[in-house]
Amino acid sequence: MTQAAGATPPERKATQMKSEPREAWISPATVSVLIRKELRDAVHNRWFVSYTAGFTVMALGVSYMAQVGTGYSGFAGFGPTAASMINLVLLLVPLMALTLGSSSLALERDRGMLAYVLAQPVNRVEVILAKFLGLAIALLGALAAGFGAAALLIARQADAQQVGLFLRLVGFSAMLAISMLAVGMMIATFIRSSGAATGAALLAWLTFLLLGDLGLMGSAVMFRIQTPQLFLTAIINPTECFRLSVIGGFDATLDVLGPAGLYASNTFGPRLPVLLAVILVTWTLVPLMLAVFRFSRKPL
Amino acid sequence: MINTARQIPRAGWCSTASWGVLTIAYLLLYGVTLVSADDTGFDLAQTINQTPEGGVLNVPAGVYYGPIVLDRPIMLIGQPGAVLDGRGDGDVVQINAPDVTLRGFIIRNTGDILDRENSGIVVTAPRATIEDNRLEDVLFGVYLKSSPGSHVRRNHITSKDLDLPRRGDCIRLWASDNSVIEDNTITDGRDLVMWYSNNLIVRRNTVTRCRYGIHFMYAGQATVEDNRLTDNSVGMFLMYTKDLILRRNVMARNRGPSGFGLGIKDVDGADIRDNLMIDNRVGIHIDNSPSNVDLTHRFQGNILAYNDIGLGMLPNVTRNEFVGNGFIDNVQQVAVFGGGKFEGNSFTVEGRGNYWGDYRGFDMDGDGLGDVEHRVASVFENLMDRQPKLRLFLFSPAQQAIESAAKAFPVVQPKIRAIDTAPLMNPPRPPSIANAPPRSSAMATAGGLMLLAGVSVLFVGWRG
Repeated sequence: MTQAAGATPPERKATQMKSEPREAWISPATVSVLIRKELRDAVHNRWFVSYTAGFTVMALGVSYMAQVGTGYSGFAGFGPTAASMINLVLLLVPLMALTLGSSSLALERDRGMLAYVLAQPVNRVEVILAKFLGLAIALLGALAAGFGAAALLIARQADAQQVGLFLRLVGFSAMLAISMLAVGMMIATFIRSSGAATGAALLAWLTFLLLGDLGLMGSAVMFRIQTPQLFLTAIINPTECFRLSVIGGFDATLDVLGPAGLYASNTFGPRLPVLLAVILVTWTLVPLMLAVFRFSRKPL
Repeated sequence: MINTARQIPRAGWCSTASWGVLTIAYLLLYGVTLVSADDTGFDLAQTINQTPEGGVLNVPAGVYYGPIVLDRPIMLIGQPGAVLDGRGDGDVVQINAPDVTLRGFIIRNTGDILDRENSGIVVTAPRATIEDNRLEDVLFGVYLKSSPGSHVRRNHITSKDLDLPRRGDCIRLWASDNSVIEDNTITDGRDLVMWYSNNLIVRRNTVTRCRYGIHFMYAGQATVEDNRLTDNSVGMFLMYTKDLILRRNVMARNRGPSGFGLGIKDVDGADIRDNLMIDNRVGIHIDNSPSNVDLTHRFQGNILAYNDIGLGMLPNVTRNEFVGNGFIDNVQQVAVFGGGKFEGNSFTVEGRGNYWGDYRGFDMDGDGLGDVEHRVASVFENLMDRQPKLRLFLFSPAQQAIESAAKAFPVVQPKIRAIDTAPLMNPPRPPSIANAPPRSSAMATAGGLMLLAGVSVLFVGWRG
């Protein structure tokens, strides 16, 4: 990849043949070249293109429906739109990020591309980090396009306060997307086969989205879990963090969520969004670290 | 002194004018701004005593320290810049004579002792007129204490910067029948409250960031219309009250611990129409009303939208009729607190029902009424009734999965809370709908920038 490839002294080339790390440090120049390659690959990926198109169309549709339903009274611009956006984001964004992340290695490996890249004077940490960053940029671009188009559609109805709510929705969607991407990459590094990795990603999606909450609801009823424990268990789930932070955006007291919401706002108050953001960032860093660790150790 | 325009004979006019000129010269000489009444040489208390009954007293700009006692029926008019200041102790103005008018003053700085009810203006005689005043930093604002036949209009009232429970009422009526409270603007106080007063008109007031926007206690025969009650703990709370007409009021974003747009407790005789309840915790909350078994209450043409709970009732509330109302996008449209049904209340009256935002029926014959009845029933809501902590999962895909599973496999039938046999296809448009919040171009800017950024990232990626 870098111009230095041809000029590498023979003895260093020999050490690379044994596929040992070239050097521990990460070169920004190398990473940026790799990021551009990943971004290019992602944007040309058929799945990515259809996800992006789907997300944009549905974001427009949801905003339009919310607009038609509420616009007549002139009282609500973005509130109801945000509420209906929650489910759209929850369904599509983790699916998009998890499947993109989980298929990122297997496809390249099957085509021999991964072996080719790793034969270059790059180290594995650089490769996996660049892969993550490139895909993250592509995902954020897709989200920005979809949300931006939706915002233009409802702009006529929105007042200044609702812009803050909108930016909060976008910000937490971005954090959710990136954390789910990290989880997807982790799956990719642990599961070799492309089919199995996608399967695992779908299972993870279903768990985050449905099984976790349904299980928690069932346990709450059966084992009489107390409200604080219920809330604290729920926010382990990154999709819950996203949902609660957006709801907190249009109802800061969270009293729409009943006793658990009251507990949350009494206990954490204005620090709740910070806590939720920290959890989402943790869901990014830990899987990413595991992915880097695993990728730099395992045989190709 | 300056401009005391009582019924002065013409001859006296010249001397008044020359006194005015002298005073101005005096002020210029000493370079004193109008800080204290003593500086102007205008003795308010003495001038009040000299004003004949029924006379008009114009008070020039300046700060006059209270307590100012009005014990004769006169009209006291503040010129721009006339300030009545209580020096942080006791009441500012006490009106102890009937037929007093107090107009155009800035009234400020009462004491802050709640059990002494330190007030900006306290009236203990009938037929007072309090208008166009600005009350700032007062514990209680206007306190009509046995002052029937009074008018309180076009005043701006703000309480002290204290915790809500330590503030006083911005307007309080106590045993003051036949009074009119209109066009007042009230912010950051406690209540606008009517105690033991009948035959009232309360209209076009704006109450923001207070405790109870409008509160009736043991009061009756009132007309309450065109008020805007926003961002309070409770919008309007009617208790132990009779024969009320509520029209075209707006109650929005009232979200305290009770958080009712309109709360009704032990009320007998109410006609409630064309009001807007928007984004409250509970749009309308009903407790034991009507309590008289011979009465029926009718709610007509109201909009209940974007509340956490649109209409909430305690169990055993009966004899309420709802017709032509719009239930729009409330998280929970109607709820019986503690579970149960809306038995003994009707959502269809004389073949007309209400508009339901979540109605999924159709109107084949185009008469504006849905051909399929609307059932208010939801599995998840049943679940929430029994396990309130599960509200945590509102708006989650898991909640929707439960709802759709219940629809697809109707083994578990949700309890039907209410049935509307003639749901409306279109929501009502109460005349109170207006005043949308100001639009901002920020959303368009944010959207445009994001779209641009997203598309350019994708384009750059595409080109490599």
